[in-house]
Amino acid sequence: MKRNAIICAVLLTAVVAEAKNVDLVTLPGRDSVQLTIYNSEDLTLAKETRYVTLKKGANQLQFSWANTLIDPSSVELRLLDHVDQVEIADTVFPGQKPQHLIWNIESKFEGQVKMEVTYFTSGLTWSMDYVAISDPDETMLQFDGYVRVYNNSGEEYDNAEIRLIVGKINLVEKIADLARRRGIPVPLEPSGPHRLMQRDAVRKAFADAEGAADDMDASRTEAAGIVKEGISEYFMFTVEGSETIPNGWSKRMQAVDTEDVTFDIVYRMRAHQYGPRPVRFFIWRNDAEHKLGDSPLPDGQVNLFRDNGDDGLSFLARQQIRYVPIKAEIEINLGPDDLVVYETNRANVKRFNFSFHRNRVNGWDETAHWIDTIRNYRTKPITFELRRVWHGDIDYDSEIKTTLFDYRTPEVTLTVAARSKKQYPATVTQHHGVNAKQNRVKLKR
Amino acid sequence: MRTRTLLIAALAAAIGVSAPAFGRIKLATLPVRERVEIRLDNPHFTLVEEERIVPMLKGTNMIDFSWSNTAIDKNSIQFRPIAIRQGKKFRPIKTVDRPSGAKALEIRVINVAYPPNENALVWEVYSDEPCAAKVRVSYVIANLTRSFSYRALANRDETFLTLRKYIQLRNYSGEDFGGSGVWAGFGPKFHKQIGHQEDIKILLHKFDKVPVEKTFTFDWYTHGPLNPDKPLASRVLMHYRLTNDEKHGLGLFPLQPGKVRIFIADSRGGEAFLGEDWAALTPLDDKMKLYLGESRDVVCTRTIESNQRIDVRGNLHHQEIVLKYEIENFKDKPATLQIVEQLNRLAREYGGDPHGDVEWEHGAKTSKEIRFEFEHGGALPMLLIDLPARPKDKDAKVEKVVVRFHVIIKNLW
Repeated sequence: MKRNAIICAVLLTAVVAEAKNVDLVTLPGRDSVQLTIYNSEDLTLAKETRYVTLKKGANQLQFSWANTLIDPSSVELRLLDHVDQVEIADTVFPGQKPQHLIWNIESKFEGQVKMEVTYFTSGLTWSMDYVAISDPDETMLQFDGYVRVYNNSGEEYDNAEIRLIVGKINLVEKIADLARRRGIPVPLEPSGPHRLMQRDAVRKAFADAEGAADDMDASRTEAAGIVKEGISEYFMFTVEGSETIPNGWSKRMQAVDTEDVTFDIVYRMRAHQYGPRPVRFFIWRNDAEHKLGDSPLPDGQVNLFRDNGDDGLSFLARQQIRYVPIKAEIEINLGPDDLVVYETNRANVKRFNFSFHRNRVNGWDETAHWIDTIRNYRTKPITFELRRVWHGDIDYDSEIKTTLFDYRTPEVTLTVAARSKKQYPATVTQHHGVNAKQNRVKLKR
Repeated sequence: MRTRTLLIAALAAAIGVSAPAFGRIKLATLPVRERVEIRLDNPHFTLVEEERIVPMLKGTNMIDFSWSNTAIDKNSIQFRPIAIRQGKKFRPIKTVDRPSGAKALEIRVINVAYPPNENALVWEVYSDEPCAAKVRVSYVIANLTRSFSYRALANRDETFLTLRKYIQLRNYSGEDFGGSGVWAGFGPKFHKQIGHQEDIKILLHKFDKVPVEKTFTFDWYTHGPLNPDKPLASRVLMHYRLTNDEKHGLGLFPLQPGKVRIFIADSRGGEAFLGEDWAALTPLDDKMKLYLGESRDVVCTRTIESNQRIDVRGNLHHQEIVLKYEIENFKDKPATLQIVEQLNRLAREYGGDPHGDVEWEHGAKTSKEIRFEFEHGGALPMLLIDLPARPKDKDAKVEKVVVRFHVIIKNLW
């Protein structure tokens, strides 16, 4: 497979400024590659180590990155051996050769040195997705999380150590924009036949990689583990071992594997938020009590299934979740449930306490009796949360303990027994016109 | 010719056997579907589950899943090994202790790779032993949808219905599924041949002898005057009303929305088409109302018999209104007329702005024959009036039933 980012030891020591048409170079291979991929930006920090043989005196190292999305301003060379004897004199970006740079190196040492090249590239991204499978009784979940790494960078990275950064960083310029400056071409979409060739090649690459591993008697027998650690405000997932992700491909690996996660089922009636019917939620927390909590959960899509008790699944819901910090709640909205019915009825309207200005009504109070009825046809009791937004100056009274979610939203949590109904009565007095002194709900008890 | 567009291939040149790393000859086996289950319980997502027997070699196996001309949601695809063949039977996959101390399934997915610009993926699956594994592949597919419909047959007296509920499966997914199990989320499972571009209508349930109530509804403010010749009469709409509970022969599950075609038995053992309506979602214990058309045999006129303003103070006043209804039933059967009176609109027409829902009370002239229901709130009372059948005597006239609703709408301005 073609490598695009190449480092060359230029054996000719002619002056760089002169145009040269004939070069003789050696091509030191990558010793190791580490990719640190950020998901908040199209940014990857690539770190390669290579061995280069230097002679005493002036040496030139050429680094080129045709058809890749590397930010030239980010390319750095660091010596890992013989640091006292080798010095990087300068870095030259030849005008006539885009996507090239040359390091002029002064060496007091002759022989092999280990170097590290780092650069920012784009086109490598990652995302997270989750699969949750509830047991048939809807009491426990199998909760799995997967990282999927996409390589559209134009470069093949074989056996790379992959690190994934969870968190939002600040960039003042996009790496892809920096890479595209000076009319530098970007990787093209592969053609159909080329795709087939690529796919065959990649199958072979996978096979070769595995075969090689087998030869070493160390073939992968389990999914790669993901090591999680906190760094500053961010979290880093490191994929154990190394992975090969050919250009254009993506690879999905398991990062979270948790069984027996308990969860709560809650119904919510919030017409202003979820519409006219109550919706069903599965709720659990990213904490130790729920066998999670060893890292935040990055943004990602959750596909929620239920084991139907017959080796099969039922598809319950799909939802995009936002970053879930440790100990925070995960809420999955399953939508309306035909087996839980909510109705509301308003009656007994009375008006009183009229105010007049020049014999015209300009203020009054009005009471009405509201009855909300919840019917539960499920075989288990349900928890039902009811919130309703009121506008204006409201006095609110219910015999059932009610609290205020905010200044205008009473909320109540009810338990409705299996196959039964429950009523929630409330008397609402609204002050109108000049009688309205506030814009809030006041609970009478 | 239909073509199979879904393909699963076990690349038997499975990696991890003692072949050299390069230049191996690959052989791909194509495991056929042993079983297909189609789950239609979610109204927005159709889940297909296929069961296949996949040969596994010891070590790493590459299993390629690809599709074309179908809209499979790539992010929904699940691969679950569930059993291993032992002799002629299958046993469930076991959890085994790994040398690392960790527990793992005998057959486990290592990772999934997605090739560029293709509808395909490659599972890398490790098997501890060579075996034939039963695996389930599940995915959400588009254009394989379901809808519900009903056929109601009323008896001659219109007191009972035979209600049939159907599910209609529309497969425009691009895939031939062959013999498949189908489940709608309730009721029995079915096994059907499901081909591409096929619509299949399946009887889900038949409810016999469902008691039905035929209702006649008069709503002046919704329908207005009947015609210039009868400016005080309005349309009387006919409905069948069913209650979705066990007492009324239903109550097994919520009735999903769908078209209902209504027929009635005739005297010769045949059927006549009465009309059709869209049924709304009817949860358990709720009523399904099916519109039949307009009645010409129940006639109701509405008159404002009196309208009086009672001043309270300044511009604050009450409005006292007596509504008179004159009703004739020309049918040979008794009937109950439901009169919907929209008091907010009545107040606005005769008294002034109701400022929300009206405050009202009965006056003394309200007829005792009227029964009241407040299903839609206090400002929308429904008046129920029982009407006798037309006289059997040819010379006798139809009795005109006259009732009054005396309403005092309070505190208007």
